[in-house]
Amino acid sequence: MDLNLTRIDYTQVGLTSPKTMELLPLAGKTQKIAIADNDGVVQCFSMKKGEVITQFKTLPSQKIQRLKLGGVHDAPKSNIFVASASEVRGFSKKGKQFLAFNTNISETIQSMYVEGADLFVCGNYIFNHYKECKDIHNMLCTDKINDVLCLPQTKEAVTTPVIACQDRLLRVIKGSDVLFKVEVPGPPSVLELFDKDGGAERNEVIYGTADGRIGLLELGSSEEVQRWKIENLKRNGGVTCLDMFDITGDGVMDLLVGRDDGLVDIYSFDESAQPFHKYAHTCNESITSIQGGIVGSPGYPEIVCSTYPGIVSGLTTKKLKKHKGPDGLELTNQGRAQLNALSNCFPCCTWLVNHCLSAYFIACFSPPLHVGWVIGLTTEPLTKRGGIATEALDQATKIKMSDLKQELEEIHKNVLQQREKFQNSGLDKCSVSSINNFHMNTRFVLNGDEACYLLSVELQSPIDNILIQSDVVIHMMDVDKNSAVVSFSACQPENGNCLLATYRCQASTTRLDLKIRTVEGQYGTLQVYVTPRTQPRICQVRQFAIKPLSLHLRTHSFDANRPFNSLKLKGQFSLAEAHSWVRSCLPEFPEKPPMGDTVTFHFVSSFQQTMLECSYSKGEVIFRSDNISTISILKDFLTAEATKRKIHLNITYDIDENSATYILNLMHPKLQNQLSLARKVQILEALKELQVHEKDLSFLSEDYKQIIDNADDIKEKFAQQPFLLDRLYDIL
Amino acid sequence: MVTIGKYFGDYPALTCATNGDKVFIHTPHKLSESCRPQSANVGGDVSLLNINQKVSSICAGNLNPSLDYDVLMVGTDTNLIAYDIAQNMDLFYRETPDGANAITFGTLGSFQDQLAIVGGNCSIQGFDCEGNDQFWTVTGDNVRSLALVDFDKDGHKELIVGSEDFDIRVFREDEIIAEMTETETITCLHPIDECKFGYALGNGTIGVYERASRSWRIKSKSHAVSIHSFDLNNDGVPELITGWSNGKIDVRNESSGEVIFRDNFNSSVAGIVQGAYTQPGNDQLICCSVEGEVRGYNSLTPQKGQTLMDINVEQEMIRELTQKKQTLLMELKNYQDNLSQSQKPLTEEFDKPGSLIPVNTQVETELSVQPETQESPAHVLLTISTNNDTIIRAVTIFAEGIFDGESHVIHPNANRLSSSLKMPLILPKDTPVDAHVKVLVGYKNCVHYHVFEINRFVPRFSMYILCSQLPVPEPEGYVKFTINDRVQRVCIWINQNFLLKELLQAGNNLHLSFMSMRNQTPLLFKMDQFKQVIIQTDDLDVAGNIVQSLATYLKIEDLNVAAHFPEELKSLNALIEKVDGLNSMRQTLTAGIADHSNLIRSMVVRAEDTRLIGDIKAMKQGYTELYHLNQDLLRDYNIRCNNHTELVSCLKQVNLVIQKASRLRVGKYKTQVVTACRAAIKNNNISALVKIITTGAS
Repeated sequence: MDLNLTRIDYTQVGLTSPKTMELLPLAGKTQKIAIADNDGVVQCFSMKKGEVITQFKTLPSQKIQRLKLGGVHDAPKSNIFVASASEVRGFSKKGKQFLAFNTNISETIQSMYVEGADLFVCGNYIFNHYKECKDIHNMLCTDKINDVLCLPQTKEAVTTPVIACQDRLLRVIKGSDVLFKVEVPGPPSVLELFDKDGGAERNEVIYGTADGRIGLLELGSSEEVQRWKIENLKRNGGVTCLDMFDITGDGVMDLLVGRDDGLVDIYSFDESAQPFHKYAHTCNESITSIQGGIVGSPGYPEIVCSTYPGIVSGLTTKKLKKHKGPDGLELTNQGRAQLNALSNCFPCCTWLVNHCLSAYFIACFSPPLHVGWVIGLTTEPLTKRGGIATEALDQATKIKMSDLKQELEEIHKNVLQQREKFQNSGLDKCSVSSINNFHMNTRFVLNGDEACYLLSVELQSPIDNILIQSDVVIHMMDVDKNSAVVSFSACQPENGNCLLATYRCQASTTRLDLKIRTVEGQYGTLQVYVTPRTQPRICQVRQFAIKPLSLHLRTHSFDANRPFNSLKLKGQFSLAEAHSWVRSCLPEFPEKPPMGDTVTFHFVSSFQQTMLECSYSKGEVIFRSDNISTISILKDFLTAEATKRKIHLNITYDIDENSATYILNLMHPKLQNQLSLARKVQILEALKELQVHEKDLSFLSEDYKQIIDNADDIKEKFAQQPFLLDRLYDIL
Repeated sequence: MVTIGKYFGDYPALTCATNGDKVFIHTPHKLSESCRPQSANVGGDVSLLNINQKVSSICAGNLNPSLDYDVLMVGTDTNLIAYDIAQNMDLFYRETPDGANAITFGTLGSFQDQLAIVGGNCSIQGFDCEGNDQFWTVTGDNVRSLALVDFDKDGHKELIVGSEDFDIRVFREDEIIAEMTETETITCLHPIDECKFGYALGNGTIGVYERASRSWRIKSKSHAVSIHSFDLNNDGVPELITGWSNGKIDVRNESSGEVIFRDNFNSSVAGIVQGAYTQPGNDQLICCSVEGEVRGYNSLTPQKGQTLMDINVEQEMIRELTQKKQTLLMELKNYQDNLSQSQKPLTEEFDKPGSLIPVNTQVETELSVQPETQESPAHVLLTISTNNDTIIRAVTIFAEGIFDGESHVIHPNANRLSSSLKMPLILPKDTPVDAHVKVLVGYKNCVHYHVFEINRFVPRFSMYILCSQLPVPEPEGYVKFTINDRVQRVCIWINQNFLLKELLQAGNNLHLSFMSMRNQTPLLFKMDQFKQVIIQTDDLDVAGNIVQSLATYLKIEDLNVAAHFPEELKSLNALIEKVDGLNSMRQTLTAGIADHSNLIRSMVVRAEDTRLIGDIKAMKQGYTELYHLNQDLLRDYNIRCNNHTELVSCLKQVNLVIQKASRLRVGKYKTQVVTACRAAIKNNNISALVKIITTGAS
């Protein structure tokens, strides 16, 4: 069955953080939405005929990072817990605050999970476990914690929390220690229980990564089983939220995915429980939370999502469009009987009969499987196809629109007054003009598959223009999705500009994605000036460091059999200093040095697949890589750093003769592949021309025939890898 | 390039030019023997025509009124072919040495016949069904697009020409009645409704003109390949349909530019046409992509309340309104915060540098002309400064036509920030520029900056500096004419169009000397009490620009001038001689090629003979000779090629001179120059040509 969803916007709240919206359990006909925003407002509302009916709303306070439903074990989770700063508050579904618990942790809470009486709270590096508000376990993690959850308690009553860390590991915790680690393909950003309850064994967890991958893991008592993985082939945005809900109505829970580029994906599962892509919807703003439930109208399941600017909208199975009835259907007595029978079968079926016109007859019904059929049977001429139910809804939207317009006018008047006041105040000499900080959501992440950086900027209000300035050579790549008009300016490197580009956005663009290619060995800063389309015009700058080895990714599997070159630095420096040096060379590096005297990290180049191992301790840093150029970049950078800080370094190298040939061997098939691909594309045109002319292609050689047969395939491959050949040449 | 034509009477056939020098014709309704149309079969009937030259434009139309079907016109770099597909024969074949970049078809002005109008390098020709040259005129640069529109609602169609010098010109027969300057090469033009037409530029802009005023325009990052007008939503008003290089098709309301429908192809769009392709009677919109995908769109059946967009329009509206509300609320919050901030004591300014700047901060801009120095060429300098200790972090100028892209950014080094900034603007052409300047003002090392937006108008003749003290060598060339206006009015015009340090005060007569900053040539502007104006310059182009600008300002309808440009005329003479030389050389080359090909034929026969009788040695020798001859032929061909390109460029130059000479005059005199020059060239009468350029009449 094809899934056909319609988007309805419900309301707008303040900016929202990821995972701050949930649906309360079904009580009555529709579910209520609980949402918390960055202004600190927690609210709970339901929808009735397209209008928001607020259950409760708190006063603004500190930015809320997470919202989670909780409740007594085995009972529906109907209590709302929110985390802001270092405090956790609990509200009942009526809005009564029953808990205000200050965790006293030194960091702001980034993620939180509630399971019965157990509360799990994570800051950037700290993991805390409270039972009935008593601290029972805590742990310091070596890298940033992105999300936390706890496996549902089984009979043995063991609590098994799982944390997702930036260093591409899921850590399964027992007490205050790590039970075991699971490597995942990208930095995990979100965790969710499979089928909402962890599957049959209560130990299945789905994760989403910042580079857009999703996977299912079965966490045993000491090791994990990888069930399936969804690769991010289309290079969509990173996963920000996940949920499981049966939207297709086939009795199997579907996977709902919200991404930071505004994409909502739905995956269904086939007989062998493997996921396949079912449906995609694009919102313009990044999705912060996604939930499945029944909200807008009874009987129609829908997907509710909240976006970064705080828009709450639903994707409903109910059709809002005016539908067409079967043409000129004469409703016979038999048909009437059939309809009566149908209405008896389906309890939630509704009948609407219009008596104004004797022959005008409309029936709407929805089968219990939430499919949401609306059928009109009419003997009326074709021009009068509109159903009553849909017209009523149109009315509601119309009212909503006129209300909005009125509101808008009032605000506009007010603004005009204020604007005048503001401009008059310009005459007053001693007053100052301040800039109100506007919120901006930016991301600058390395995309390993393409070996380029993705920069995304998102605002609450439309963007006017973005100015990109960089003091290193970088290349901007075209992104299909953005519609902004780009213009590059000539720039002089002596003024510290290697790239100056403006992106002028089309009206009502609130989000812009850019792809940037960096060159390893060249480092500096990238500055982004963002001007939104608000009055008075202001602009905000963001800076991003481009590190010398910008295209390296963290990895945990290291191939020790390669020929390695090594670089050893010795001198009078502390572990912290060494850490900060290495950190300034490589991306995805933790902020704080981990515990222990010697620290080892492994990296892989996303472009050349070469490895790098760096281990450092007090007074000594050792790098080992099979790529000689990586070593030389490191050497250049570290010597420059050391000279700046006036530290004497003793540098020794050990170069393996075989490494050069090894690298060349590694590169050779890639290069050959690319070259042959390029050649094939070149002759493809000519061959196509021949194909048009000659009926019989048998005189062509086998090679050529094959090329023609695989034409589409070849073209697609070529289109996927633009510039790759050029870049390979560059590296050589 | 795609067109549609009814080559067999009633049923249309889609015609496309392929990149292998061929024209491809797809006829879905092949006439069966009983002359009854069969239903459309998807396979259709495909035929191919070999042109053997790069096809530069195609068009179909009923050129010969005695035939009741359409004729295909194919333009290549050197000729125009009118081809009767039904009879499979050429109607005519004409050499067009200026090339055929664009073809359109229809009736022009008061001409009786339907004409095939061909735009080439600087010239436009109109051919009738016998291939006779009925119409000829020149334009500013290479023609890229043509359209026939009833521009002034007089019942006659005017020709609209888009050329590479960014100008859209409207010709009422020979006379230019309007000229609109755009910011890029005009790649497409298409009539929409009565006096409206759509246009597309090389930089991704599309828009609609209603007569000489632009209704709207939008810019996209990909560029428009083809535009068309079609009433897709059946509301009685045609929409502008654009096919983009990224495969998008959008349908826009012609009066507002609002998108009402979108579709996507996997590859770039090649062309958009309309025709009753699948079913007789109903016109459809047909879009083709470069990969060969063809999609047809039916227009909506008239029904109330239907929209083309799949998405609920109301929902979209609500979203838009919500966003507006959000923006306004934010602005309100800004003001409120501002008020509360400004009531606090001033000392806070130092706690939070950057987020606060004095309210009375103002940004001033000043334009000045800078002569050429060793480091930089001559430019107009835009100085931007603040009136207090705030610094300028960066300046972005959005102005079209003077930068490579649409904007230019100045972002000084972090340690060299100051409260003023200089920005050189190099103006390549004498066109007025509207610059939108965005200045980021704040303090050092802060993350927030105030954005000051300023619109600055750069006058048309900014690159000419007034040198009142220095004696300027008098140029030889001049134009002389008399106007019926006061000196004061001319002074106002000068103040508006030149960048002067102080405003010019009117006296009884004017004597001004300017120096062009582009090539350091003098320009003298004189006006005496008898209202005689003399513009002295050696550059025909500059003189033309000044005359046109002055005439527009003073609303002069007709103006003839006496022109004297010895240098230009000398080069024109040389050009014409060169053209003659090239022409005769071409003839000898053609003869040579004919000789060679005869020789080759006989030699091939001889070589084959020797092979048959088994005389390997002689055969070898024969083929070696043949090889050498072939080499010769190739060499000759290269010479011919060079000869041709040179000829084309010379002819373009000649056309340009005529166009420039016509620009010295206004109104009917302008047309007169073009027609007279054309006649003189046809008769090869050089002295007459010189006389026309000097006096404006033969």
